[in-house]
Amino acid sequence: MGDILNVSHLTKRFSGLVAVDDLSLTVKERQIHTLIGPNGAGKSTTINLITGVLKGDTGTITFAGKDISDMPTHKIAQLGLGRTFQNIKLFGAMSVIENLMVGAHKNTSQGIVNFLWNTKRAKDEEEKMRAHAEQVLKQIDMYSHKDDMVNELPYGLRKMTELGRTLMIDPKMILLDEPAAGLNPSERQEFIQHLKDVYDSGIDLFLIEHNMDVVMSISHYITVINFGAKIAEGEPKEVVNNPEVIKAYLGSRFKAE
Amino acid sequence: MKSRKNIIGIVCLIVAVILPWLFNSTYYLSLFGQTLINIIIVFGLNFITGLTRNMNLGTAGIMAVGAYTSALLSTRLGISPWIGLAAAILVGFLIGRGLGYPSLRISGVYLSLTTIAFGEIVRLVLNNTTSVTGGAQGLTNVPVFSIFGFQIQRGIPFYYFLLLFMLLMFWISTRIVRSKWGRAFKAISDNPDAAESLGIDIAKIKILAFTLAAIYAALGGALYGNLMGYLNPSTFNFDFSINFVIMLMIGGIGIVRGNIIGAIVVTMLPELLRFLGDYYQLVFYTIAFIGAIKLPQGWPAGIVSLVKWVARKTGSKSRKEG
Repeated sequence: MGDILNVSHLTKRFSGLVAVDDLSLTVKERQIHTLIGPNGAGKSTTINLITGVLKGDTGTITFAGKDISDMPTHKIAQLGLGRTFQNIKLFGAMSVIENLMVGAHKNTSQGIVNFLWNTKRAKDEEEKMRAHAEQVLKQIDMYSHKDDMVNELPYGLRKMTELGRTLMIDPKMILLDEPAAGLNPSERQEFIQHLKDVYDSGIDLFLIEHNMDVVMSISHYITVINFGAKIAEGEPKEVVNNPEVIKAYLGSRFKAE
Repeated sequence: MKSRKNIIGIVCLIVAVILPWLFNSTYYLSLFGQTLINIIIVFGLNFITGLTRNMNLGTAGIMAVGAYTSALLSTRLGISPWIGLAAAILVGFLIGRGLGYPSLRISGVYLSLTTIAFGEIVRLVLNNTTSVTGGAQGLTNVPVFSIFGFQIQRGIPFYYFLLLFMLLMFWISTRIVRSKWGRAFKAISDNPDAAESLGIDIAKIKILAFTLAAIYAALGGALYGNLMGYLNPSTFNFDFSINFVIMLMIGGIGIVRGNIIGAIVVTMLPELLRFLGDYYQLVFYTIAFIGAIKLPQGWPAGIVSLVKWVARKTGSKSRKEG
Protein backbone atom coordinates (compact mmCIF):
# COMPACT_ATOMS: atom_id res chain seq x y z
CA MET A 1 0.00 0.00 0.00
CA GLY A 2 1.31 3.40 -0.98
CA ASP A 3 0.83 6.71 0.72
CA ILE A 4 -2.08 8.87 -0.30
CA LEU A 5 -1.02 11.92 1.71
CA ASN A 6 2.38 12.84 2.94
CA VAL A 7 3.10 15.83 5.14
CA SER A 8 6.74 16.43 5.80
CA HIS A 9 8.35 18.94 8.20
CA LEU A 10 5.43 21.34 7.89
CA THR A 11 5.66 24.57 9.88
CA LYS A 12 3.24 27.47 10.04
CA ARG A 13 3.74 30.58 12.14
CA PHE A 14 1.16 33.28 12.81
CA SER A 15 3.45 36.19 13.69
CA GLY A 16 4.83 34.99 17.06
CA LEU A 17 2.73 31.88 17.47
CA VAL A 18 3.87 28.59 16.01
CA ALA A 19 0.58 26.93 15.04
CA VAL A 20 2.12 23.92 13.32
CA ASP A 21 5.64 22.96 14.33
CA ASP A 22 7.73 20.70 12.09
CA LEU A 23 4.84 18.28 11.63
CA SER A 24 5.30 15.12 9.62
CA LEU A 25 2.60 12.55 9.03
CA THR A 26 1.74 9.96 6.45
CA VAL A 27 -1.71 8.72 5.53
CA LYS A 28 -1.58 5.31 3.90
CA GLU A 29 -3.99 4.21 1.20
CA ARG A 30 -6.97 2.21 2.40
CA GLN A 31 -6.88 3.59 5.90
CA ILE A 32 -9.06 5.75 8.10
CA HIS A 33 -6.59 8.10 9.72
CA THR A 34 -7.58 10.38 12.58
CA LEU A 35 -5.85 13.48 13.90
CA ILE A 36 -6.58 14.28 17.54
CA GLY A 37 -5.30 16.81 20.02
CA PRO A 38 -6.47 19.37 22.55
CA ASN A 39 -8.08 22.67 21.56
CA GLY A 40 -5.57 24.97 19.93
CA ALA A 41 -3.22 22.12 19.06
CA GLY A 42 -3.20 23.18 15.39
CA LYS A 43 -5.57 20.59 13.94
CA SER A 44 -7.67 22.98 11.90
CA THR A 45 -4.56 24.84 10.77
CA THR A 46 -3.16 21.52 9.56
CA ILE A 47 -6.32 20.84 7.51
CA ASN A 48 -6.20 24.36 6.10
CA LEU A 49 -2.56 23.85 5.13
CA ILE A 50 -3.29 20.53 3.43
CA THR A 51 -6.24 21.93 1.48
CA GLY A 52 -4.30 25.00 0.40
CA VAL A 53 -6.42 27.54 2.27
CA LEU A 54 -3.22 28.53 4.11
CA LYS A 55 0.34 28.28 2.83
CA GLY A 56 2.97 26.70 5.04
CA ASP A 57 6.19 28.56 5.89
CA THR A 58 8.34 25.47 5.38
CA GLY A 59 7.75 21.84 4.58
CA THR A 60 6.12 19.92 1.77
CA ILE A 61 2.77 18.21 1.27
CA THR A 62 2.22 15.56 -1.37
CA PHE A 63 -1.16 14.13 -2.27
CA ALA A 64 -1.54 11.10 -4.57
CA GLY A 65 2.07 11.48 -5.63
CA LYS A 66 1.85 15.20 -6.50
CA ASP A 67 3.44 18.06 -4.62
CA ILE A 68 0.52 20.25 -3.53
CA SER A 69 2.43 22.57 -1.18
CA ASP A 70 2.00 25.60 -3.43
CA MET A 71 -1.23 24.70 -5.20
CA PRO A 72 -4.38 26.80 -4.87
CA THR A 73 -7.33 25.15 -3.11
CA HIS A 74 -9.39 24.46 -6.23
CA LYS A 75 -6.47 22.69 -7.96
CA ILE A 76 -5.98 20.46 -4.93
CA ALA A 77 -9.68 19.64 -4.95
CA GLN A 78 -9.44 18.83 -8.65
CA LEU A 79 -6.80 16.21 -7.82
CA GLY A 80 -9.45 14.45 -5.76
CA LEU A 81 -9.08 15.80 -2.25
CA GLY A 82 -12.53 16.47 -0.83
CA ARG A 83 -13.31 18.10 2.50
CA THR A 84 -16.07 18.99 4.91
CA PHE A 85 -15.98 21.94 7.27
CA GLN A 86 -16.12 22.18 11.04
CA ASN A 87 -19.08 24.54 10.88
CA ILE A 88 -20.89 23.27 7.80
CA LYS A 89 -20.46 25.41 4.70
CA LEU A 90 -23.38 24.84 2.35
CA PHE A 91 -24.86 27.02 -0.37
CA GLY A 92 -27.82 28.33 1.59
CA ALA A 93 -29.77 29.72 -1.35
CA MET A 94 -29.95 26.33 -3.06
CA SER A 95 -31.75 23.04 -2.65
CA VAL A 96 -30.02 19.85 -1.53
CA ILE A 97 -29.67 18.47 -5.04
CA GLU A 98 -28.36 21.79 -6.39
CA ASN A 99 -25.72 21.82 -3.65
CA LEU A 100 -24.59 18.40 -4.77
CA MET A 101 -24.63 19.39 -8.42
CA VAL A 102 -22.19 22.22 -7.71
CA GLY A 103 -19.88 19.45 -6.56
CA ALA A 104 -20.07 17.89 -10.02
CA HIS A 105 -19.05 21.14 -11.73
CA LYS A 106 -15.34 20.31 -11.90
CA ASN A 107 -16.00 17.02 -13.66
CA THR A 108 -17.83 18.66 -16.56
CA SER A 109 -16.02 19.70 -19.68
CA GLN A 110 -18.40 21.85 -21.73
CA GLY A 111 -17.29 25.48 -22.07
CA ILE A 112 -19.70 28.41 -22.13
CA VAL A 113 -19.53 29.05 -25.89
CA ASN A 114 -20.20 25.40 -26.68
CA PHE A 115 -22.96 25.45 -24.06
CA LEU A 116 -24.76 28.26 -25.89
CA TRP A 117 -25.06 26.58 -29.27
CA ASN A 118 -24.79 22.88 -28.47
CA THR A 119 -28.01 22.66 -26.51
CA LYS A 120 -28.19 18.90 -26.77
CA ARG A 121 -24.81 18.36 -25.16
CA ALA A 122 -25.67 20.93 -22.49
CA LYS A 123 -28.85 19.02 -21.70
CA ASP A 124 -27.03 15.68 -21.60
CA GLU A 125 -24.39 17.06 -19.26
CA GLU A 126 -27.04 18.54 -16.97
CA GLU A 127 -28.93 15.25 -16.85
CA LYS A 128 -25.74 13.36 -16.12
CA MET A 129 -24.97 15.68 -13.21
CA ARG A 130 -28.50 15.30 -11.87
CA ALA A 131 -28.39 11.51 -12.17
CA HIS A 132 -25.05 11.39 -10.36
CA ALA A 133 -26.42 13.61 -7.59
CA GLU A 134 -29.52 11.44 -7.23
CA GLN A 135 -27.39 8.33 -6.99
CA VAL A 136 -25.25 9.89 -4.23
CA LEU A 137 -28.38 11.04 -2.39
CA LYS A 138 -29.72 7.51 -2.44
CA GLN A 139 -26.39 6.25 -1.14
CA ILE A 140 -26.55 8.58 1.87
CA ASP A 141 -30.31 8.07 2.42
CA MET A 142 -31.23 11.63 1.56
CA TYR A 143 -33.14 11.14 -1.68
CA SER A 144 -36.46 12.15 -0.10
CA HIS A 145 -34.93 15.52 0.84
CA LYS A 146 -33.51 16.31 -2.58
CA ASP A 147 -35.65 19.37 -3.29
CA ASP A 148 -35.56 20.79 0.24
CA MET A 149 -33.75 24.06 0.77
CA VAL A 150 -30.62 23.36 2.80
CA ASN A 151 -31.30 26.20 5.24
CA GLU A 152 -34.51 24.50 6.31
CA LEU A 153 -32.85 21.16 7.10
CA PRO A 154 -31.98 20.01 10.60
CA TYR A 155 -28.30 20.06 11.55
CA GLY A 156 -27.67 16.35 11.03
CA LEU A 157 -29.06 16.39 7.50
CA ARG A 158 -27.03 19.48 6.66
CA LYS A 159 -23.91 17.54 7.65
CA MET A 160 -25.02 14.67 5.42
CA THR A 161 -25.62 17.08 2.54
CA GLU A 162 -22.10 18.40 2.93
CA LEU A 163 -20.72 14.87 2.85
CA GLY A 164 -22.80 14.11 -0.24
CA ARG A 165 -21.57 17.26 -1.94
CA THR A 166 -17.93 16.36 -1.45
CA LEU A 167 -18.64 12.83 -2.73
CA MET A 168 -19.75 14.46 -5.99
CA ILE A 169 -16.19 15.53 -6.85
CA ASP A 170 -15.22 11.83 -7.08
CA PRO A 171 -12.63 12.19 -4.34
CA LYS A 172 -9.71 9.86 -3.65
CA MET A 173 -9.67 11.05 -0.07
CA ILE A 174 -11.96 13.15 2.11
CA LEU A 175 -10.78 15.36 4.98
CA LEU A 176 -13.46 15.64 7.63
CA ASP A 177 -13.14 18.43 10.17
CA GLU A 178 -14.97 17.24 13.31
CA PRO A 179 -17.71 15.26 11.54
CA ALA A 180 -19.42 14.18 14.78
CA ALA A 181 -19.58 17.63 16.38
CA GLY A 182 -23.12 18.75 17.12
CA LEU A 183 -24.73 15.40 16.37
CA ASN A 184 -26.80 13.53 18.93
CA PRO A 185 -25.78 9.93 19.74
CA SER A 186 -28.15 8.29 17.27
CA GLU A 187 -27.26 10.71 14.47
CA ARG A 188 -23.62 10.07 15.31
CA GLN A 189 -24.07 6.31 14.90
CA GLU A 190 -25.77 6.87 11.58
CA PHE A 191 -23.06 9.24 10.41
CA ILE A 192 -20.30 6.79 11.37
CA GLN A 193 -22.08 4.07 9.41
CA HIS A 194 -22.23 6.33 6.36
CA LEU A 195 -18.54 7.16 6.74
CA LYS A 196 -17.73 3.46 6.86
CA ASP A 197 -19.80 2.92 3.70
CA VAL A 198 -17.93 5.75 2.01
CA TYR A 199 -14.65 4.16 3.06
CA ASP A 200 -15.78 0.76 1.78
CA SER A 201 -16.60 2.31 -1.58
CA GLY A 202 -12.87 2.98 -1.99
CA ILE A 203 -12.38 6.49 -0.61
CA ASP A 204 -9.74 7.07 2.05
CA LEU A 205 -10.67 9.19 5.07
CA PHE A 206 -8.69 11.63 7.16
CA LEU A 207 -10.56 12.91 10.19
CA ILE A 208 -10.14 15.50 12.86
CA GLU A 209 -12.30 14.43 15.75
CA HIS A 210 -12.84 15.22 19.39
CA ASN A 211 -15.32 12.55 20.28
CA MET A 212 -13.25 9.57 21.48
CA ASP A 213 -16.11 7.08 20.90
CA VAL A 214 -16.10 8.02 17.25
CA VAL A 215 -12.33 8.02 17.07
CA MET A 216 -12.01 4.57 18.61
CA SER A 217 -14.82 3.02 16.60
CA ILE A 218 -13.68 4.15 13.19
CA SER A 219 -9.92 4.84 13.11
CA HIS A 220 -7.26 2.51 11.82
CA TYR A 221 -4.47 4.85 12.73
CA ILE A 222 -4.22 7.90 14.97
CA THR A 223 -1.87 10.87 15.06
CA VAL A 224 -1.86 13.03 18.19
CA ILE A 225 -0.62 16.59 18.13
CA ASN A 226 -0.15 19.18 20.83
CA PHE A 227 1.12 22.76 20.44
CA GLY A 228 1.43 22.07 16.72
CA ALA A 229 3.88 19.20 17.12
CA LYS A 230 3.30 15.49 16.90
CA ILE A 231 3.48 13.76 20.27
CA ALA A 232 2.39 10.24 19.32
CA GLU A 233 1.03 8.09 16.56
CA GLY A 234 0.03 4.50 16.02
CA GLU A 235 -2.85 2.06 16.22
CA PRO A 236 -5.75 3.29 18.38
CA LYS A 237 -4.93 0.87 21.24
CA GLU A 238 -1.29 1.94 21.54
CA VAL A 239 -2.12 5.61 21.30
CA VAL A 240 -4.69 5.67 24.09
CA ASN A 241 -2.25 3.92 26.40
CA ASN A 242 0.58 6.29 25.62
CA PRO A 243 1.29 8.23 28.86
CA GLU A 244 2.08 11.45 27.04
CA VAL A 245 -1.22 11.36 25.16
CA ILE A 246 -3.09 10.70 28.38
CA LYS A 247 -1.37 13.63 30.03
CA ALA A 248 -1.85 16.08 27.17
CA TYR A 249 -5.27 15.15 25.93
CA LEU A 250 -7.21 12.19 27.18
CA GLY A 251 -6.98 12.62 30.94
CA SER A 252 -6.62 9.90 33.49
CA ARG A 253 -10.00 8.26 32.85
CA PHE A 254 -8.45 6.39 29.91
CA LYS A 255 -5.60 5.00 31.98
CA ALA A 256 -7.60 2.17 33.52
CA GLU A 257 -8.39 0.42 30.22
CA MET B 1 -48.06 25.75 -11.29
CA LYS B 2 -45.76 25.44 -14.26
CA SER B 3 -48.61 25.65 -16.76
CA ARG B 4 -49.95 28.73 -14.98
CA LYS B 5 -46.54 30.37 -15.34
CA ASN B 6 -46.54 29.48 -19.03
CA ILE B 7 -49.97 31.04 -19.50
CA ILE B 8 -48.79 34.26 -17.82
CA GLY B 9 -45.78 34.23 -20.14
CA ILE B 10 -47.94 33.80 -23.25
CA VAL B 11 -50.32 36.57 -22.17
CA CYS B 12 -47.36 38.92 -21.58
CA LEU B 13 -46.00 38.04 -25.00
CA ILE B 14 -49.36 38.75 -26.70
CA VAL B 15 -49.54 42.10 -24.89
CA ALA B 16 -45.98 42.87 -26.03
CA VAL B 17 -46.91 42.03 -29.63
CA ILE B 18 -50.04 44.23 -29.80
CA LEU B 19 -48.64 47.05 -27.65
CA PRO B 20 -47.15 49.15 -30.49
CA TRP B 21 -50.50 49.16 -32.30
CA LEU B 22 -52.26 50.50 -29.20
CA PHE B 23 -49.70 53.22 -28.51
CA ASN B 24 -48.56 54.03 -32.00
CA SER B 25 -46.58 57.22 -31.59
CA THR B 26 -42.88 57.96 -32.01
CA TYR B 27 -42.64 58.84 -28.36
CA TYR B 28 -44.18 55.62 -27.05
CA LEU B 29 -42.32 53.41 -29.52
CA SER B 30 -39.03 54.93 -28.45
CA LEU B 31 -40.00 54.39 -24.81
CA PHE B 32 -40.92 50.76 -25.44
CA GLY B 33 -37.69 50.26 -27.38
CA GLN B 34 -35.69 51.66 -24.47
CA THR B 35 -37.55 49.35 -22.12
CA LEU B 36 -36.60 46.32 -24.21
CA ILE B 37 -32.97 47.40 -24.31
CA ASN B 38 -32.95 48.00 -20.57
CA ILE B 39 -34.36 44.51 -20.05
CA ILE B 40 -31.45 43.03 -22.03
CA ILE B 41 -28.92 44.99 -19.99
CA VAL B 42 -30.48 43.95 -16.68
CA PHE B 43 -30.29 40.31 -17.81
CA GLY B 44 -26.53 40.85 -18.01
CA LEU B 45 -26.26 42.73 -14.73
CA ASN B 46 -28.12 39.85 -13.12
CA PHE B 47 -25.09 37.60 -13.66
CA ILE B 48 -22.59 39.81 -11.92
CA THR B 49 -24.60 41.81 -9.40
CA GLY B 50 -27.53 39.42 -9.05
CA LEU B 51 -25.87 36.04 -8.85
CA THR B 52 -22.22 36.60 -7.93
CA ARG B 53 -23.07 39.69 -5.85
CA ASN B 54 -20.41 42.04 -7.18
CA MET B 55 -21.92 45.51 -7.31
CA ASN B 56 -21.34 46.85 -10.80
CA LEU B 57 -22.02 50.58 -10.96
CA GLY B 58 -20.40 51.12 -14.34
CA THR B 59 -23.08 49.66 -16.57
CA ALA B 60 -23.74 52.94 -18.37
CA GLY B 61 -20.05 53.18 -19.21
CA ILE B 62 -19.97 49.72 -20.74
CA MET B 63 -23.17 50.51 -22.61
CA ALA B 64 -21.59 53.71 -23.94
CA VAL B 65 -18.53 51.88 -25.24
CA GLY B 66 -20.79 49.40 -27.04
CA ALA B 67 -22.98 52.19 -28.43
CA TYR B 68 -20.10 54.32 -29.67
CA THR B 69 -18.16 51.38 -31.10
CA SER B 70 -21.09 50.32 -33.24
CA ALA B 71 -22.20 53.85 -34.12
CA LEU B 72 -18.73 55.12 -35.04
CA LEU B 73 -18.08 52.12 -37.27
CA SER B 74 -21.33 52.70 -39.15
CA THR B 75 -21.32 56.51 -39.31
CA ARG B 76 -17.61 57.19 -39.85
CA LEU B 77 -16.61 54.12 -41.85
CA GLY B 78 -19.94 53.13 -43.36
CA ILE B 79 -19.74 49.61 -42.01
CA SER B 80 -22.98 47.65 -41.64
CA PRO B 81 -24.64 47.96 -38.21
CA TRP B 82 -24.63 44.16 -38.03
CA ILE B 83 -20.84 44.20 -37.95
CA GLY B 84 -21.13 47.09 -35.48
CA LEU B 85 -23.19 44.80 -33.28
CA ALA B 86 -20.56 42.08 -33.51
CA ALA B 87 -17.88 44.66 -32.68
CA ALA B 88 -19.90 45.73 -29.63
CA ILE B 89 -19.96 42.12 -28.46
CA LEU B 90 -16.19 41.98 -28.88
CA VAL B 91 -15.55 45.16 -26.90
CA GLY B 92 -18.01 43.92 -24.29
CA PHE B 93 -15.93 40.78 -24.00
CA LEU B 94 -12.73 42.80 -23.61
CA ILE B 95 -14.24 45.17 -21.02
CA GLY B 96 -15.61 42.21 -19.08
CA ARG B 97 -12.16 40.68 -18.91
CA GLY B 98 -10.62 44.03 -18.02
CA LEU B 99 -13.07 44.72 -15.21
CA GLY B 100 -13.08 41.10 -14.10
CA TYR B 101 -9.39 40.97 -13.24
CA PRO B 102 -9.44 43.79 -10.67
CA SER B 103 -12.47 42.08 -9.10
CA LEU B 104 -10.19 39.21 -8.11
CA ARG B 105 -8.10 41.48 -5.91
CA ILE B 106 -10.65 43.96 -4.65
CA SER B 107 -14.20 43.39 -3.57
CA GLY B 108 -17.20 45.06 -1.99
CA VAL B 109 -17.29 48.83 -1.92
CA TYR B 110 -13.84 49.14 -3.50
CA LEU B 111 -14.91 47.15 -6.52
CA SER B 112 -18.03 49.31 -6.86
CA LEU B 113 -15.81 52.40 -6.79
CA THR B 114 -13.65 50.92 -9.53
CA THR B 115 -16.68 50.35 -11.74
CA ILE B 116 -17.92 53.89 -11.07
CA ALA B 117 -14.49 55.18 -12.06
CA PHE B 118 -14.64 53.15 -15.25
CA GLY B 119 -18.03 54.60 -16.17
CA GLU B 120 -16.90 58.15 -15.51
CA ILE B 121 -13.65 57.72 -17.46
CA VAL B 122 -15.61 56.47 -20.47
CA ARG B 123 -18.00 59.40 -20.30
CA LEU B 124 -15.20 61.96 -19.98
CA VAL B 125 -13.19 60.42 -22.81
CA LEU B 126 -16.23 60.41 -25.09
CA ASN B 127 -16.94 64.03 -24.14
CA ASN B 128 -13.44 65.22 -24.85
CA THR B 129 -12.39 63.33 -27.97
CA THR B 130 -14.51 65.72 -29.99
CA SER B 131 -12.85 65.00 -33.33
CA VAL B 132 -13.88 61.35 -33.23
CA THR B 133 -17.05 61.18 -31.15
CA GLY B 134 -18.48 64.61 -31.70
CA GLY B 135 -18.06 65.28 -27.98
CA ALA B 136 -20.92 66.99 -26.18
CA GLN B 137 -22.47 67.82 -29.57
CA GLY B 138 -23.26 64.15 -29.88
CA LEU B 139 -23.12 61.71 -32.74
CA THR B 140 -25.95 61.90 -35.25
CA ASN B 141 -27.33 59.80 -38.10
CA VAL B 142 -26.71 56.38 -36.61
CA PRO B 143 -28.17 54.10 -39.28
CA VAL B 144 -30.78 51.37 -38.85
CA PHE B 145 -30.32 47.68 -39.54
CA SER B 146 -31.27 46.17 -42.83
CA ILE B 147 -32.00 42.55 -43.53
CA PHE B 148 -32.00 41.02 -47.04
CA GLY B 149 -32.00 44.52 -48.47
CA PHE B 150 -35.00 45.68 -46.40
CA GLN B 151 -34.41 48.40 -43.84
CA ILE B 152 -35.80 47.80 -40.37
CA GLN B 153 -37.28 51.26 -39.92
CA ARG B 154 -37.49 52.95 -36.56
CA GLY B 155 -40.96 52.59 -35.16
CA ILE B 156 -42.98 49.40 -35.22
CA PRO B 157 -40.51 47.26 -37.26
CA PHE B 158 -37.59 48.11 -34.98
CA TYR B 159 -39.78 47.48 -31.95
CA TYR B 160 -40.36 43.91 -33.14
CA PHE B 161 -36.68 43.53 -33.95
CA LEU B 162 -35.82 44.52 -30.36
CA LEU B 163 -38.55 42.27 -29.00
CA LEU B 164 -37.06 39.28 -30.83
CA PHE B 165 -33.62 40.22 -29.59
CA MET B 166 -34.89 40.50 -26.02
CA LEU B 167 -36.55 37.08 -26.25
CA LEU B 168 -33.32 35.57 -27.56
CA MET B 169 -31.36 37.08 -24.67
CA PHE B 170 -34.07 35.94 -22.23
CA TRP B 171 -33.74 32.40 -23.51
CA ILE B 172 -29.94 32.48 -23.19
CA SER B 173 -30.08 34.00 -19.69
CA THR B 174 -32.63 31.50 -18.44
CA ARG B 175 -30.54 28.64 -19.75
CA ILE B 176 -27.36 29.96 -18.14
CA VAL B 177 -29.02 30.67 -14.79
CA ARG B 178 -30.52 27.17 -14.64
CA SER B 179 -27.30 25.44 -15.64
CA LYS B 180 -24.04 24.56 -13.95
CA TRP B 181 -22.92 28.14 -14.67
CA GLY B 182 -25.82 29.66 -12.76
CA ARG B 183 -25.16 27.35 -9.85
CA ALA B 184 -21.46 28.19 -9.90
CA PHE B 185 -22.26 31.93 -9.91
CA LYS B 186 -24.48 31.49 -6.89
CA ALA B 187 -22.00 29.18 -5.18
CA ILE B 188 -19.03 31.55 -5.32
CA SER B 189 -21.01 34.38 -3.74
CA ASP B 190 -22.85 32.20 -1.26
CA ASN B 191 -19.84 30.38 0.11
CA PRO B 192 -16.53 30.92 -1.68
CA ASP B 193 -14.58 28.59 0.64
CA ALA B 194 -16.94 25.72 -0.09
CA ALA B 195 -16.92 26.43 -3.83
CA GLU B 196 -13.12 26.30 -3.90
CA SER B 197 -13.09 23.08 -1.91
CA LEU B 198 -15.17 21.54 -4.71
CA GLY B 199 -12.57 22.40 -7.32
CA ILE B 200 -14.29 25.51 -8.68
CA ASP B 201 -11.89 28.18 -9.89
CA ILE B 202 -13.47 31.31 -8.42
CA ALA B 203 -11.37 33.63 -10.58
CA LYS B 204 -12.57 31.98 -13.77
CA ILE B 205 -16.24 32.03 -12.75
CA LYS B 206 -16.09 35.66 -11.59
CA ILE B 207 -14.49 36.78 -14.84
CA LEU B 208 -17.11 34.83 -16.79
CA ALA B 209 -19.89 36.62 -14.92
CA PHE B 210 -18.28 40.00 -15.56
CA THR B 211 -17.77 39.15 -19.22
CA LEU B 212 -21.38 38.11 -19.72
CA ALA B 213 -22.60 41.27 -17.99
CA ALA B 214 -20.37 43.45 -20.15
CA ILE B 215 -21.38 41.72 -23.39
CA TYR B 216 -25.06 42.22 -22.58
CA ALA B 217 -24.47 45.88 -21.72
CA ALA B 218 -22.37 46.58 -24.82
CA LEU B 219 -24.96 44.87 -26.99
CA GLY B 220 -27.71 46.91 -25.35
CA GLY B 221 -25.67 50.05 -25.97
CA ALA B 222 -25.24 49.28 -29.67
CA LEU B 223 -28.99 48.69 -30.05
CA TYR B 224 -29.64 51.93 -28.15
CA GLY B 225 -27.66 53.85 -30.76
CA ASN B 226 -29.67 52.27 -33.55
CA LEU B 227 -32.94 52.97 -31.75
CA MET B 228 -32.26 56.65 -31.06
CA GLY B 229 -30.20 57.45 -34.14
CA TYR B 230 -28.30 59.86 -31.94
CA LEU B 231 -25.79 59.46 -29.13
CA ASN B 232 -24.58 61.88 -26.52
CA PRO B 233 -22.06 61.12 -23.76
CA SER B 234 -24.23 62.81 -21.12
CA THR B 235 -26.84 60.05 -21.52
CA PHE B 236 -24.47 57.51 -20.05
CA ASN B 237 -24.07 59.08 -16.63
CA PHE B 238 -23.89 57.61 -13.17
CA ASP B 239 -27.66 57.94 -12.61
CA PHE B 240 -28.20 55.64 -15.55
CA SER B 241 -25.92 52.97 -14.00
CA ILE B 242 -27.79 53.28 -10.71
CA ASN B 243 -31.09 52.80 -12.52
CA PHE B 244 -30.01 49.37 -13.74
CA VAL B 245 -29.25 48.32 -10.18
CA ILE B 246 -32.70 49.58 -9.12
CA MET B 247 -34.28 47.55 -11.93
CA LEU B 248 -32.47 44.48 -10.67
CA MET B 249 -33.57 45.16 -7.09
CA ILE B 250 -37.21 45.76 -7.95
CA GLY B 251 -37.44 42.63 -10.08
CA GLY B 252 -35.83 40.46 -7.45
CA ILE B 253 -32.10 39.78 -7.47
CA GLY B 254 -31.09 36.70 -9.43
CA ILE B 255 -34.49 36.09 -11.06
CA VAL B 256 -34.52 36.38 -14.86
CA ARG B 257 -38.31 36.91 -15.14
CA GLY B 258 -38.03 39.51 -12.40
CA ASN B 259 -35.41 41.38 -14.44
CA ILE B 260 -38.07 42.03 -17.08
CA ILE B 261 -40.54 43.41 -14.54
CA GLY B 262 -37.88 45.57 -12.88
CA ALA B 263 -36.77 47.05 -16.18
CA ILE B 264 -40.37 47.79 -17.22
CA VAL B 265 -41.21 49.44 -13.89
CA VAL B 266 -38.11 51.63 -13.75
CA THR B 267 -38.30 52.68 -17.41
CA MET B 268 -42.05 53.37 -17.45
CA LEU B 269 -42.59 54.75 -13.95
CA PRO B 270 -40.97 58.15 -14.61
CA GLU B 271 -43.35 58.56 -17.58
CA LEU B 272 -46.34 57.68 -15.43
CA LEU B 273 -45.12 60.09 -12.75
CA ARG B 274 -44.63 62.90 -15.24
CA PHE B 275 -47.66 64.77 -13.87
CA LEU B 276 -45.67 65.35 -10.68
CA GLY B 277 -43.31 67.64 -12.55
CA ASP B 278 -40.18 68.46 -10.58
CA TYR B 279 -41.17 66.13 -7.77
CA TYR B 280 -41.13 63.00 -9.88
CA GLN B 281 -37.56 62.07 -8.94
CA LEU B 282 -38.31 62.50 -5.26
CA VAL B 283 -41.33 60.21 -5.55
CA PHE B 284 -39.57 57.69 -7.78
CA TYR B 285 -36.52 57.28 -5.55
CA THR B 286 -38.69 57.16 -2.43
CA ILE B 287 -40.63 54.27 -3.95
CA ALA B 288 -37.39 52.52 -4.91
CA PHE B 289 -35.98 53.13 -1.42
CA ILE B 290 -39.03 51.76 0.38
CA GLY B 291 -39.01 48.78 -1.99
CA ALA B 292 -35.38 48.04 -1.19
CA ILE B 293 -36.06 48.01 2.54
CA LYS B 294 -39.50 46.40 2.66
CA LEU B 295 -39.29 44.00 -0.29
CA PRO B 296 -35.68 42.79 -0.45
CA GLN B 297 -36.75 39.82 -2.59
CA GLY B 298 -38.13 42.20 -5.18
CA TRP B 299 -41.62 43.42 -5.92
CA PRO B 300 -42.99 40.36 -7.73
CA ALA B 301 -42.01 38.03 -4.88
CA GLY B 302 -43.28 40.58 -2.37
CA ILE B 303 -46.64 40.89 -4.14
CA VAL B 304 -46.98 37.10 -4.37
CA SER B 305 -46.43 36.69 -0.62
CA LEU B 306 -48.81 39.62 0.05
CA VAL B 307 -51.53 37.96 -2.05
CA LYS B 308 -50.97 34.68 -0.21
CA TRP B 309 -51.14 36.50 3.12
CA VAL B 310 -54.39 38.23 2.19
CA ALA B 311 -55.84 34.93 0.90
CA ARG B 312 -54.93 33.25 4.17
CA LYS B 313 -56.47 36.05 6.23
CA THR B 314 -59.72 36.17 4.30
CA GLY B 315 -59.79 32.38 4.06
CA SER B 316 -59.54 31.94 7.82
CA LYS B 317 -62.10 34.72 8.34
CA SER B 318 -64.68 33.12 6.08
CA ARG B 319 -64.11 29.77 7.75
CA LYS B 320 -64.76 31.40 11.11
CA GLU B 321 -67.92 33.06 9.85
CA GLY B 322 -69.12 29.90 8.16
